[in-house]
Amino acid sequence: MGIYLSQIVGKAVWDLQGQKIGRCADILVREREHGPAQVRAVAIERGNEPELLVPAEHVASLTPGVVLKSATPPPYVPQGDEVRLRSQVLDRQIVDVEGRRLVRANDLQLVRHGAEGRYFVSGVAAGVSSFLRRLGFEGAYADVLKRIGRQPLAEVIPWQDVAPVEADAPIRLRVAKSKISRINPVDIADIITELDRQSGMALLRSLDNETAADAIQEIEPELQASMLTTLPPERAADVLEEMDPDSAADVLASLEDAHRDNLLALMEEEESTDVQKLLAYPEDTAGGIMTTEYTTIPTGLTVGQALDYLRQSASAREDETMYYVHIADENGRLRGVLTLRDLVMADPSSPVDEIMERHPITVNPTVSQREVARIVAKYNLLEVPVVDEQGVLHGIVTVDDAIDAVIPTAWKKRLPHFY
Amino acid sequence: MAWKRRLQYLWRRMLLFAAVFGPGLITASADNDAPGIATYSMAGSTYGYTFLWIVVWITLGEVIVQEMAARMGTLTGKGLTDLIREEFGLKLTVLVMLGLMLANLGTTMAQFAGIAASAELFGLTRYIAVPIAGLAVWVLVVKGSYHRVEKVLLLLSAYAIAYVISAFMVRPPWGEVTRNLFVPTLRLERPYLLAVLATVGTTITPWAAVYMQAATADKGVTPENYKSARLDCIIGAATGNVVSGFIIICTAATLFTLGIRVETAEHAAMALAPVAGPWATHLFGIGLLGASLLAASVLPLSTTYAVCEVFGWERGLNHTWGDAPVFYGLFTASIVLGAVVVLVPGLPLFAFMWLSQVANALLLPIVLVLMLKLANDRRIMKDWRNGRATNAAVTALAVLVTLAGLLMFGRW
Repeated sequence: MGIYLSQIVGKAVWDLQGQKIGRCADILVREREHGPAQVRAVAIERGNEPELLVPAEHVASLTPGVVLKSATPPPYVPQGDEVRLRSQVLDRQIVDVEGRRLVRANDLQLVRHGAEGRYFVSGVAAGVSSFLRRLGFEGAYADVLKRIGRQPLAEVIPWQDVAPVEADAPIRLRVAKSKISRINPVDIADIITELDRQSGMALLRSLDNETAADAIQEIEPELQASMLTTLPPERAADVLEEMDPDSAADVLASLEDAHRDNLLALMEEEESTDVQKLLAYPEDTAGGIMTTEYTTIPTGLTVGQALDYLRQSASAREDETMYYVHIADENGRLRGVLTLRDLVMADPSSPVDEIMERHPITVNPTVSQREVARIVAKYNLLEVPVVDEQGVLHGIVTVDDAIDAVIPTAWKKRLPHFY
Repeated sequence: MAWKRRLQYLWRRMLLFAAVFGPGLITASADNDAPGIATYSMAGSTYGYTFLWIVVWITLGEVIVQEMAARMGTLTGKGLTDLIREEFGLKLTVLVMLGLMLANLGTTMAQFAGIAASAELFGLTRYIAVPIAGLAVWVLVVKGSYHRVEKVLLLLSAYAIAYVISAFMVRPPWGEVTRNLFVPTLRLERPYLLAVLATVGTTITPWAAVYMQAATADKGVTPENYKSARLDCIIGAATGNVVSGFIIICTAATLFTLGIRVETAEHAAMALAPVAGPWATHLFGIGLLGASLLAASVLPLSTTYAVCEVFGWERGLNHTWGDAPVFYGLFTASIVLGAVVVLVPGLPLFAFMWLSQVANALLLPIVLVLMLKLANDRRIMKDWRNGRATNAAVTALAVLVTLAGLLMFGRW
């Protein structure tokens, strides 16, 4: 759980010897274009003496009381780019990018992280619980929620979404509130992982199923399962349905059996079957990392008929990338592959069989992920079909899933996206 | 050619004023609402013309308080409760907000009671009049833009003419009236002081300051045309209190002379008939209806402005229901509650109105002190801080209403 400005301001400030220095009057943070803002200094009021600014490096901790590392810290020299959280942000009006009033800043959430234990502002608390905390009713509110079996909603607006604070102006968000889900899922995932767990969860819960699914797919694999399990089971199942089957299978694979079966039962039949098929393969094999969302057309079509078929086909509609079109016979055996480009550029009357690649590179479901990555790299493929001993097509492994084995997820994010 | 340029200049000034004009006259006219008329009728029938000089001083007080609100709204573009939350923290803000909600709800109920009473003066049952009035007010505010709403409200202010006409109909001794405007008569007895307090309390109100500041900010009045906003305050307060004066004259010339004392507006109207003819009653009824309708629109607006400002939710008449759901939702709830309490027999209307008066009396000194602090804050008001005379006047007013409040609840 994060700490809040209202729990710090007004509290006594001590040095390490237990000598009381004054009271915390305000917290100064550095104004930054992106990312959490680092706490720069703590303003201390000392009766009639002038306000004392203590640099953040000399602050040992902010909660439960403000403790300084030395009794006579050097004064902090303002550099002109600081924002005062209490006087410039707390209780101010928050407007969205179009200037619509949304809510007021009830509180500010701070997090501590990094090896040096530095404090950062992670977001603006604007929900019911922060409002009640300011009034001193937070305990009662939590009790009531507990009794009706609900979690308090943190409702924290990520600091990333807050435009630089200007004096005498409302606090402006960078996004319209209704459009918060239009941020790239990768960014939402970043926000979720950077926030403390509770507010990360609150943000995730506030997203629609599709956005939540996209965001979860971008979170570090270790975190995915724990994020998903904190959602109510029905909601988790809805989100799983929206995820790519291979990602959904990965997440489910790392859950306990009972929990996994419960979620699978709650999912729609179609998505559930797809995922169960994938779960049958070990995680680090081609079968384990493949997706079942790919495009197939029957044999014997002309190019024109094939394009018409694709427009009508449910499998084509679900295939978000569609680099390749697979030609499969009535028994599901892979007959050939061609790129969407080949199909679009060809003469509509020519038969597909004539222009397709009859002997595509394929992998067996039991091939290791590393081997798949090697093949994809060697032949410069965007995807590789997964085919069993009988030649039946089961799925495809896309390049990004294949290279997960050799490049850690954090690195992969820096690579350009193909979609 | 010089005169032509002069005329053009005057014309431009007038257009400028017309653009800013409104909130001052509306709040002042809504001050003469159903409880207001009852207070003036009571004062006029009990103390006669000797009460008139108080109205002059109340006008001054109203101008000063409303001008302060208009000035803060102009300079900051924020409402009064906006500023209170930003400067005085959440606890005090919520206290002020709850007090205002309670006070305004009770006063809104009083307006619907006023609508019911005036309808019954014309022989129309309240079960038809009150729902129609509630619906009309609701449609006006929810469907209209700020400018349209303001135009209708200003039109409603014309109810004032009814009282002016009836005051002339009763032929008061104008010499005595004029003398009593300027020569104070002070009585140091509890009922008299309570009457003075009631008159102050119905004219200078927290809700009017909240509405004034929010409406000024909503209209987008800038420091350049602030002078017009100030003129609006002065004209509004003057007009509103001239009407109060005429109501007192009306009742003083008839009821006081005959020794009839009334406690409510409809009693005053009915008591007028034998003395001044049935026309007087009807004029009084029209005035009561117009004032109640006006106040029934403005009071819920003041509540919703305050609540939305405290929480930072979208507010204002220029938004759609979708953009400002709480604003319109609260407005609707106020109207419905106000109307229902009047229609359903057995609901404790008077207990609630008394409670709201208590809330108003407690709230007024607090709001005055907060306004004083805000209007003297160098950071907020820059070069537009209060002058010394304003500070002295508001301080005196705050002390007076605090003492009067103590008097209201304490033993004499």
